[in-house]
Amino acid sequence: MAGVSLTNISKAYGDVTVIDGLDLSIEDKEFVVLVGPSGCGKTTTLRMIGGLEVVTGGTVMIGDRDVTTLRPGLRNCSMVFQNYALYPHMSVRDNITYGMKVRGVDRAEMDRHVADAARILGLEPYLDRRPKHLSGGQRQRVAIGRAIVRNPDVFLFDEPLSNLDAKLRIEMRTEIKNLHRRLEATMVYVTHDQVEAMTMADRVVVMNQGVIEQAAEPITLYETPANMFVAAFIGAPSMNFLKATVAGGEGGLAVVLSDGTRLPIPAGRHARFGKLDGRPVVFGIRPEHMADGAQGPAVMQAMPTAIEPLGPHTLVVGHASSGEPLTAQVDAHTAAAPDRAMPITCMMEKMHLFDPDTGQAH
Amino acid sequence: MRDPFKYIFIWPAFLVVLMVGLFPLIYSLTVSFMSMRLVPPRPPRFVGLENYVDLLASDRFWDTIGTTLFVVIVSVTIQYVVGFAVALALHAKVPGERLFRVVFLFPMLMAPIAVALVGRMLFHSTVGPVNHFFTFLGFPNLPFLTDADWAIATIIAVEVWQWTPFVILLMLAGLQSLPQDVYEAADLENASAWQKFWGITFPMLLPVSAAVVFIRIIEAFKIMDTVFVLTGGGPGTSTETLTLFAYQEGFKKFNLGYTSALSFLFLLTVILFGIVYLVLIRPQVEKRI
Repeated sequence: MAGVSLTNISKAYGDVTVIDGLDLSIEDKEFVVLVGPSGCGKTTTLRMIGGLEVVTGGTVMIGDRDVTTLRPGLRNCSMVFQNYALYPHMSVRDNITYGMKVRGVDRAEMDRHVADAARILGLEPYLDRRPKHLSGGQRQRVAIGRAIVRNPDVFLFDEPLSNLDAKLRIEMRTEIKNLHRRLEATMVYVTHDQVEAMTMADRVVVMNQGVIEQAAEPITLYETPANMFVAAFIGAPSMNFLKATVAGGEGGLAVVLSDGTRLPIPAGRHARFGKLDGRPVVFGIRPEHMADGAQGPAVMQAMPTAIEPLGPHTLVVGHASSGEPLTAQVDAHTAAAPDRAMPITCMMEKMHLFDPDTGQAH
Repeated sequence: MRDPFKYIFIWPAFLVVLMVGLFPLIYSLTVSFMSMRLVPPRPPRFVGLENYVDLLASDRFWDTIGTTLFVVIVSVTIQYVVGFAVALALHAKVPGERLFRVVFLFPMLMAPIAVALVGRMLFHSTVGPVNHFFTFLGFPNLPFLTDADWAIATIIAVEVWQWTPFVILLMLAGLQSLPQDVYEAADLENASAWQKFWGITFPMLLPVSAAVVFIRIIEAFKIMDTVFVLTGGGPGTSTETLTLFAYQEGFKKFNLGYTSALSFLFLLTVILFGIVYLVLIRPQVEKRI
C-alpha cells in the first residue's frame, strides 16, 4: 500500500481546462472520498491517478514513485467502475483471475486468491456464473473481487454504487467500509452523493469546477464549512442562506435580516463575529438547527408552502418574510400548515456567517 | 383462437408469400421430377428421381460442388480475416480513418458484374495492368484467367476485393458497440494489445463474427456474375460453380427438369453446409453471450 500525492495537476481538453493547479495529498491507508456535483472534475482526477487520463501538467506520485507518465498497467492501481466493467463473456472466476492470467501468475496461486476474494465478498456460489446471471450488487462484488486480488497500492472507486437501488447501496456502503478496515488499503472513492461521502470517508474532498473547495474530515465539513458551496453541498436538506447585516446596539450583537428581523448572536460567539459589526453578510442556518414556534430570542417568521412529514421529523418548506427560500426541520407533530405564517426559532450557536462577495466563511 | 376475425388480416400477406415465394419453389420441385426440355420442345414426362440420380452420378456435378466449396471457404476466410483486421485498424482511429472508411466501402457499392469486368481487364493476360506490373518486376506473364489454378485464385481475389468491405462495415459496427470500460479495466491489468484482442475483443465479437461469416457463406455460394464474366467457368469446366452449371443447363440447353433438380441439390448443399457451420459455431457463441 502507498499514499498518493497530486501536485499542481491540470487537465485540459483542447482549449477547455477542467482542472487547473490541483494539489491533493492522500495518506497511506486513508479512505478519501472525492465529492462534488456533475462535471466538477472528481472522476477526471481519479482517472488521472489510475493513468486512464493523461495529465496536462503536474505530477502524480504513488508512494515514492513518480507515475505521471506511466501507463495504467504499471501504476499498480485497481479500479472499480460505475458500470462494473466486467467481461461479459467470462465467468465470475475468470473475471477475477483475468489480471493474474495476463501477468502469468501460476494456477495454484490464482485459485488461492479467488478463494480468498470469494470468501471475503460472499461470491463462492457464483464463481461459475457469468455476469449477466448476477444481480447488480453481486456484479459490484465481483468488480471489487477483481480489484482485491490485484493487491494494489491504491484502490480507485468511480461511483461504484450509483447503479444500485437505495437499500443495496446502504449495504454495499457498509461492506466497502468494512473492506477498507480489513485490507487497510489506500482507497480513493468518487461519488456525487454527499451522504455516501460523509458515511464512508476518513477525509472528504469537496470539489467544484475543477477546484478543491475543502478537504477535511466529514464532521469538520458539516460543522465548519469553508465556504457557501461546501455549506450548501454537505447536509440534507441544504443549508438556508439569507441576506443579512451584523449590527451591534442595545440588545448586543445580532444578525439583522433584510426584513428587519433581529436574531441575537449568543455572547460566546461575539468575539468571533464582533469584527463584522455593520457589515453585510450571508446568514447560514441548517434546517435541523431550527425549531417550531418561538422558543428563544432568535425568532423569525416563515411562510410555509409545503409541509413534508418524514416520520422522525417534519420539513417546513417555504420562504422567510424577506421572500428568500427557507426550509426548516421541525417537530414531527407540528401544527404548521401551508400558507399560514409561523414563527421559527434559530439555534444561533449553530449558525454560520459568510462573506456575500467571496462566499468564504467568517 | 376464439376470434376468427384476426385471420382476415393475416391471409392477404400469407397469400402474397404463397404466390411469390412458395408457389415457384413447389413448381420447381415438381419440374425436378420431370423430363422437361424447351429445345427441342417435348411434352413434360414424369421421370421420378432420374434427374437426381443422373446428377449424383455426374463427375461434373461433384466438380462444381468442389469448386464452389473451395471458393466459398477460401474467399470467406480471407474476407473475414482481412475485414476484421481493417475494421480494427479503422477503430483504432488511424490518421485519415474517415476517408479510408468511405473508400473501403466503394467495391461493395459496385454491381458485381462491373467488378468482374474491371477484374477481367486488370487480370487480362496480355493487356492487363497486373501482368504489366509483374513483367515490370521481371516475372513472366502469368496466366491469370487461362490456367485453372490461377483462374480460381483470380476469382477468389475479385470476390475478396468486392466483399471484404461488407465484413469491415459489420465488424466496425460491432467494435463500436463494445463497452469502453472493459478495455480500461484491462489497461489497468497491464494487458497487451494482443491479450486484449484475444481475451476481450474477439470473444465479445464472436456473435457478430458468426453472423457475418454466415451471411457471407450463403452469399458466396450464389457466386455467378464474377465467374461468368471472368472465366465463363473455364478453362474447360475447371472454375465452374454450381450456379454457373445450373445456368448452362437451364439457359443454354433449356433442360429445365435437370436444372430444377440441380437447383434443389444446390439448395440442399447450402442448407447442409449452413447447418454444419451453425452446429459447430453455436456452442462457441452461446458460451460467450
